Amino acid sequence: MVDTGVALGAALAISVSAISTAWAQSRIGAAGAGTIAENPELTGAVIILEAIPETMVILGFVVAAMILVL
Amino acid sequence: MLLKMKGILVVGPRKEFHNIVDVLYHTGTLHLEDVTDRLSPRTIGLKRWKTEYGDDITALLVKIGGVIRTLPATRVDREQEHEIYETLYWMEHGALVDRVNEVFRKLETTTRDLAARKSDLQFRVAALERYEKTIRKIQPLEEQLPFLEGFEVTVLLIQKEFEDVIGLIGEELEQITDDQFELISAEIDEETIATITVFSKRHADAFHAFIYSKNVNEVRLPPEYMGRPFNEVLELIDEQTRQANAERDSVNEQLASLSEEWYLELSVLEKILIDKKKEIDAFGHFGYTDHTCMVMGWVPEKYLAATSDALARTFGNRVVVTELSLSRDDYNLAPTLYENPRIVKPFEFLMQLVRPPKYLEVDPSPFLAIFFPLFFGLMVGDIGYGLVILGFGLIMRRRFSDLEWLRSLMNIMIICSIPTIFFGFLYGEFFGDLGEVMGWIHPVHVMGISLNRMEAMLPMLILAVAIGVLHVFLGLGLGIMNAIAVQNRKHVAEKAGMISAISGLILILGAATGALPPVLLPAGIVALIVGVPLIIYGGGPMGLIEIMGTVGNILSYARLMAIGMASVILAMVANTLGGALGIVLIGVTMAILLHTLNIVLAMFSPSLHSIRLHVVECFSKFYEGGGTFYTPFKRQERTN
Repeated sequence: MVDTGVALGAALAISVSAISTAWAQSRIGAAGAGTIAENPELTGAVIILEAIPETMVILGFVVAAMILVL
Repeated sequence: MLLKMKGILVVGPRKEFHNIVDVLYHTGTLHLEDVTDRLSPRTIGLKRWKTEYGDDITALLVKIGGVIRTLPATRVDREQEHEIYETLYWMEHGALVDRVNEVFRKLETTTRDLAARKSDLQFRVAALERYEKTIRKIQPLEEQLPFLEGFEVTVLLIQKEFEDVIGLIGEELEQITDDQFELISAEIDEETIATITVFSKRHADAFHAFIYSKNVNEVRLPPEYMGRPFNEVLELIDEQTRQANAERDSVNEQLASLSEEWYLELSVLEKILIDKKKEIDAFGHFGYTDHTCMVMGWVPEKYLAATSDALARTFGNRVVVTELSLSRDDYNLAPTLYENPRIVKPFEFLMQLVRPPKYLEVDPSPFLAIFFPLFFGLMVGDIGYGLVILGFGLIMRRRFSDLEWLRSLMNIMIICSIPTIFFGFLYGEFFGDLGEVMGWIHPVHVMGISLNRMEAMLPMLILAVAIGVLHVFLGLGLGIMNAIAVQNRKHVAEKAGMISAISGLILILGAATGALPPVLLPAGIVALIVGVPLIIYGGGPMGLIEIMGTVGNILSYARLMAIGMASVILAMVANTLGGALGIVLIGVTMAILLHTLNIVLAMFSPSLHSIRLHVVECFSKFYEGGGTFYTPFKRQERTN
């Protein structure tokens, strides 16, 4: 049975980073949609920019996994 | 890999200038540079070439374009087209102008009249449709309409939301006609009300002026419809529509017959004029003196002999091609052209996400071709998914063989499916855990560690970060090569210092946590001590912050494990949910649907993350970009 504190820590690690990523992606997505409307040639760059904040949730996931596994 | 370029200068007699340009244009290997800008005025007093033919060609292009747009397109025989092109292209300018004018004279009046007639008939059919609709709307009011001599009958269509305007019209009519009028309103459909007014013709002008000022939609029917019962009018409209359509068909036939006869020549003339225009637009790059003309540009080394030969065949020794000896700075401005093996070619498509490489930079596309499929395979890693992606790629490539971008994408998917199958074999995954549950396949064990991704979470994480270290170090290594190519000592020091500092940090951490032998601790400290001053020398004190950035870059590779784990969990959910549903058919359908969703996600998400790892994490260590693509001075390939 996983300790409550451990479970809570893992849940916090993934949820806070997921919310942060979602917030950042929503801002980038809105700006990116505007950018593409103005200049469709920048589509590739916008897709990459949109993927950048995902590092946060991935690191959050890694931390959560480490809390649970280690 | 980027193709090796040579800078050349072509010098010839001024009177042969147009022929030299024609030969270069048809050889199609020269990327033009502005010779008047590149050669110093102190070396030679060059004037920029201006041509007197530019306005002529533009005017002819407009004329021919006008005629050709009127005619329906006809399929042309490519060989015949090429033959006519080759004959007409080499005509003297005057003869070409005469030819175009002659064709234009023959066709202009006929096509213009036919086009105008066609357009009139289209308007007529549209107007008849509008009359028919209006009459059908007011037909129910027919019995209430008095047909009186000397009285004006006006039909107004009013949208229901502006119903109030009917009251206003009534008040105004009362004033204008001194209360000598009739006004009938009836609902025609859900949105429209028809109002019919009858009053003495002498008040017509005042009433119409009022109606115009209120922007009310007044229906003015042609005089021939007046005084007839609506049924008769509708029959008349039907007859007139049929006549107009028949006449339009006849005009279309005449246009088609003209197109049959002339389209080939017209399309060839248009193409020639477009090509001539491009040639003329490029004339600003050329220079001349009193007796010579000069053209400067870049030619891929492997086409240099062909270019020189083409000029020598036509002009003998009257035109001289000189290979320029250029400085490193000059070469930095050279255009870039990829020359990659067939397997790397599709990845050039992904390189469009970043600016083209500069000539002296290392071309990252071969590295992309190695690591992109590797990362994709590491993340998806499933034999079943790999086979589906392979099949999907093959089918889509065949189905849409004419779409260049889709073909490149599908080629990438096909290449990526191979490491996906390979890693699927290592992880023991066939549609998630289905293969293992059914006993078809089992995860491979390496040094006693099972490669089952659900069990080996920590080893997979360590593997992902280790790949990150290698990939980032590769980027830093390429950065050193680029810095050496442009002889930038500070960049060399910064990149080398970063490799040393990161290696030091890894050794210190590894030794401190017991993951590496303690004997490596001093080596780590030395590497860090050597690295830090190099970074400060190369990038200033702020360069030290870059160490943390690089550590972040390396940790970002954890996504290789994280995304793969998300994919395998979804696949397991598909199997478990499918198995938990009591009815086999529903269970299998549910599992297929979830696996399909997972495969679609697997094709999209790992591609995006793989490209992101390259562009953000690795390319940022060496890639500058901002080069110019090699665009030779030649006729562009046409797809139509």
